[in-house]
Amino acid sequence: MSAAGLASLLPLPVAIPIGGAVCAPLAARIDRRAPLVIGVLGLLGSAAVLGAMAPRVLGGEILSHYMGGWVPVGGRALGIAFAADPFGLVYALAAASIGAVLLVSTLSELGELGPRELGGYACLFQLLLAALIGTALTADLFNLFVWFEVAALSSYGLTGFFLERPIALEAAFKVLTLTTLASFAIFIGATLLYANHGALNFAQLHAAVSGHPHTADMVALALLVCGFATKAGLVPFHGWLPDAHTAAPGPVSALFSGLMVSLGVVAIARIALQIYGPSGGRPILGLLMAAGVVSALVGAILALAQDDLKRLLAYDTISQMGVLVVGLATAVPSGVAGATYHLIDHALYKSLLFLAAGAIVHATGKTKLSEMGGLARHRPGTALAFTAGVVAIAGIPPLNGYPSLGLIHAALTESGQYAVNLAMLAAQVITVAALGRAAYLAFYRRRAEAYEAMVPPRTGMVVAFWTLGATCLAAGVFPNWILDHAAAPAASSLLHGAVYASGVLAAGVHLPALSVAFDYFKVGELLTVAATVLAGVLLAAAYLRIAEPRPIRALRALHTGSVNDYAAFAATGILCAVAVLAL
Amino acid sequence: MILANYLAAACVFSIGLYVVLSRRNLIKIVMGLSLMESSTYLLLVSLAYRRGSTAPVLTSPPGTTSMSALARGNVADPVLQNFCLTAIVIGVAVTGVFLSVAVRIAQHYRTLDAGEVRALRG
Repeated sequence: MSAAGLASLLPLPVAIPIGGAVCAPLAARIDRRAPLVIGVLGLLGSAAVLGAMAPRVLGGEILSHYMGGWVPVGGRALGIAFAADPFGLVYALAAASIGAVLLVSTLSELGELGPRELGGYACLFQLLLAALIGTALTADLFNLFVWFEVAALSSYGLTGFFLERPIALEAAFKVLTLTTLASFAIFIGATLLYANHGALNFAQLHAAVSGHPHTADMVALALLVCGFATKAGLVPFHGWLPDAHTAAPGPVSALFSGLMVSLGVVAIARIALQIYGPSGGRPILGLLMAAGVVSALVGAILALAQDDLKRLLAYDTISQMGVLVVGLATAVPSGVAGATYHLIDHALYKSLLFLAAGAIVHATGKTKLSEMGGLARHRPGTALAFTAGVVAIAGIPPLNGYPSLGLIHAALTESGQYAVNLAMLAAQVITVAALGRAAYLAFYRRRAEAYEAMVPPRTGMVVAFWTLGATCLAAGVFPNWILDHAAAPAASSLLHGAVYASGVLAAGVHLPALSVAFDYFKVGELLTVAATVLAGVLLAAAYLRIAEPRPIRALRALHTGSVNDYAAFAATGILCAVAVLAL
Repeated sequence: MILANYLAAACVFSIGLYVVLSRRNLIKIVMGLSLMESSTYLLLVSLAYRRGSTAPVLTSPPGTTSMSALARGNVADPVLQNFCLTAIVIGVAVTGVFLSVAVRIAQHYRTLDAGEVRALRG
């Protein structure tokens, strides 16, 4: 198909899931599982449309489409633009295909719910995925805000899905408060930019702010980044994240953690790197680096101290988002490519881990690590899936964490940021310890008493395990293929904001090719992995024997669970960011 | 006098934020967020203002305004007013969700005190 023909298909990947969402409550009247089946088919359709664009877009071409035929005149755009660049396409494709897998898993895990529940669930699930795909494809700032709000509204519904569970309601209230604060920040930021430059299109904004941004532009940048950092769960905006994940059903936690949280990072990458560009945004890179390092460390430390399995995984998500943002903030090709790679990896292995955690809850009804144990004998499949996820996060080859973490570490060494690299390695050691401890407590230690009745695993869950696990393995075994065909073009798009901008305005623009290579058998990297894993295992073994150390207790006490306190952390974060960037 | 609008917006926003940070009653938190929301509407409508402009309706201009004056663009900024409408719609939806969650919390926890609704912490 021609480039123009393909570009005119751009609204479809978003429109199909929205259509599915609208049909879901109606389809539930015919058959209660019909909405989920429609959802799986719709998302596969979205993925197929995106896949049809993939060869051209990942080859460096940028496809753009203006809604309603309002094409730009003389470099000024009035209409809402959708543009597929490699970075957005990779994320959209991951969202559509992993979303389909999660719905398959839902089909068997929550399949006994009534038609009303399943209709509503499928509706919100697809709406959230449509919002994620829209975020990845849009090239208009206000449209980005609208997708953020669509994602937010559907996430409120999914967090509080089990209305009869008090903690789900509590979590929903915290998510609502913090996300609403974030939406104000984004809204005011977008308005400021529009009031200053009279433009919302990313291409025009790039032209206006990438050279010499005014103070007002920097305030807008701070507000936008803080707003999306709330969605990404970066410290100090993270108060909602562990609660939302603890309360939601398994596949919803997987969707939140693997895909929705990354929405924030995708938007931050677009705004800070692509629109503001390296020349206009030096202080922002420092700020992102700091937020990333703090998130990586705080998330990992809190994960180590958790007793609730899903809460532990949620804190680890904060840590992983920190690692991602550090990779982006290096603003060098290998770091940004590593971050894109890590984005996909995280979506894969975190979904796998949350589905495994959900499967344990489904089988035994237990959520606390202290009540589990010996599950490797009773549930070898789940144990294998969970262990694969842990090995991937630990960055052990041949699974997929190894190349992406290796690239981020290499980028930090290249750009001479040894202190940050050291902090990343420390966070990695604590992450290994936290997840190793969880795997040991849940699966590999002995349990004296037998479990009461255990529910057998269902086909859909097993299918999801195998699909995600196999993709994790494939993404780890063929790093250079992924780098050449996905991560390096994505990095090129993020680092060449001017090319992206001209691609949004006119057809036939090609991104310059970046060559990022990963040496699989580099001795230094392999030794680093061995050292971090060894240190992590020792730390986990030590942590199992001692009482909770005082600094960790203090850090946990800071997370009071009060919505006022979390809002105060977020407000302080916004004020600090504005002060750093505008002064 | 558009400056007064900006100051009013800033004041209302700050009052709303103060309520969210300091009041523990969940309903009051929702009210604080609604105040912040309203202040953004005021900010937006004020940003759309231009001296001596008419409403951004581009057919049959009112009074003495000629069509050519309209075409030269002495109208209030329609895009910002459009934002404002979108924000109002979103705001109503979010407040609805907020209040329904607050009602269910009141039913389950038998309290609306944010200091007591914190089973999830640490």
